[in-house]
Amino acid sequence: MRKTLLGWLVLFLFVPWVQSQTTTAPYELGVGLRLQKTEQLYWENGFTADYTSDFLLHKKIHLKMSYVTSRIGSAFMTNAVRQDNIIIGADWRFRSTKNLQIFAGLNTGFFNADMEQLSQFKDLPHSSLLLQLETGLFYKFKFPLVTSLSIGYNAVSGDGLTIPGTLFPVYYQLSVFYYINK
Amino acid sequence: MKNLIYILSVLIAVILTSCNPSPTLDDKTMLDYGQISYVNADSLSKHLLSEYLSNPTPIQLNTPVIIAAHGYTATTFEWDELRAYAKTKGTFYVSQVLLGGHGRSYPDFKKSTWEDWQSSIKEEYQKLAKIGYKKIYLAGSSTGAPLIINMVKSNFFKPDSLPKGIFLVDPIIVSSNKTLTLVGLLGPVLGYTTVELANGEKGHWYVYRPQETLKELMALIDLTRIDLEKGINLPTGTYMKVYKSIKDETADPVSAFMIYKGMRTSSGGNIDVEMESSNLHVFTRLEGRDNITADQRSLQQKVFADIESLMKK
Repeated sequence: MRKTLLGWLVLFLFVPWVQSQTTTAPYELGVGLRLQKTEQLYWENGFTADYTSDFLLHKKIHLKMSYVTSRIGSAFMTNAVRQDNIIIGADWRFRSTKNLQIFAGLNTGFFNADMEQLSQFKDLPHSSLLLQLETGLFYKFKFPLVTSLSIGYNAVSGDGLTIPGTLFPVYYQLSVFYYINK
Repeated sequence: MKNLIYILSVLIAVILTSCNPSPTLDDKTMLDYGQISYVNADSLSKHLLSEYLSNPTPIQLNTPVIIAAHGYTATTFEWDELRAYAKTKGTFYVSQVLLGGHGRSYPDFKKSTWEDWQSSIKEEYQKLAKIGYKKIYLAGSSTGAPLIINMVKSNFFKPDSLPKGIFLVDPIIVSSNKTLTLVGLLGPVLGYTTVELANGEKGHWYVYRPQETLKELMALIDLTRIDLEKGINLPTGTYMKVYKSIKDETADPVSAFMIYKGMRTSSGGNIDVEMESSNLHVFTRLEGRDNITADQRSLQQKVFADIESLMKK
């Protein structure tokens, strides 16, 4: 199931990009790094990509995917819980023709906390679907770099019963993108 | 633009004027009211071993003693059943510590810090060590657990009076209620939160939780989580075991995993963790709850017996 979803996502993101090499369809594809701090919990860092095109309501809609993990954050060389977030989503951009844009979006994805296959903890919830609301600022520099600062809310968060306990509600992100085709 | 500034000014004024509301304290049966007190001389002499057995015999000095610390907003009531078990068996003593700021009144609780809560555990430990008790153990339920872990981390225990062991029941390192992570932002607007108590629990727990103490609680568990991430070693010869309900709407069960990863014995070994089939928070306290099952009673007795047997080793 996950492989199928990933396959569709790759097709969705990259087929228009390949097409754009042979046509003149304007599009933007940015890839970059993300730093994420969860309120009262971990640093989870990773990679992110952002794609838009004229057919996405004249670049008002942006599609994005990201992977952030505590493995290269708080859990690096420490006893913090190793956890991974794979996220896809879409943003609506206000002021989409300006350098300073405001965005609001909705994400979904998959969260997994590594319980290290310890038998005592085999019954603890360790994975969950994600449902996130995000908003923030997006600034385009003159060179092909873009930075964004955002705040997000996990609508699904740990409850001590069925959802992993290290899935916390509020997080902050700083992302830097390099736009490949700019 | 002027309209926007006007609306923002009104909103800020409303938020500021409604900041930090206090509850109405008009019910004398509430612990919060201040009429019921756990800090009077009678209560202290009944619950603290340093008070009720201050001149022990040599045999009594060699009997294991558990200093039991309760959780946030609770009182010594939380460990009454372990004390009763110990009395029946006659193989160990229980000294029930009342955390600082607890068991008094809402205003007293509101101004207390987590260091105040911890101070009474430290005082009782020092008193018992001074009297000469040789086999001192600690037990912490819920918030009692990070308070004890912090004592280990801060090297409170001196080489000539190290604890023999530490037992943690439903320790809290991560709250199940994740809204609490926002208490720093929302606290001043909320002022306090309220909990529903069963009839048998009334008078033993605070009903109102001032945002100031919720912030203290979050500061304590955040500090403890970070300390565990860095790693904490137990003193030489000190044993640790965690008992944790698999489902817990107060202390997230992942707390046990964090303690397992973060605590090490003095020789670098793992501590013991036992996940229990329970959905109660502090499952060892059944008194005062409604609708207790035979399984819950059996689990409580099993854990008490386990603690007793571990102290015989």
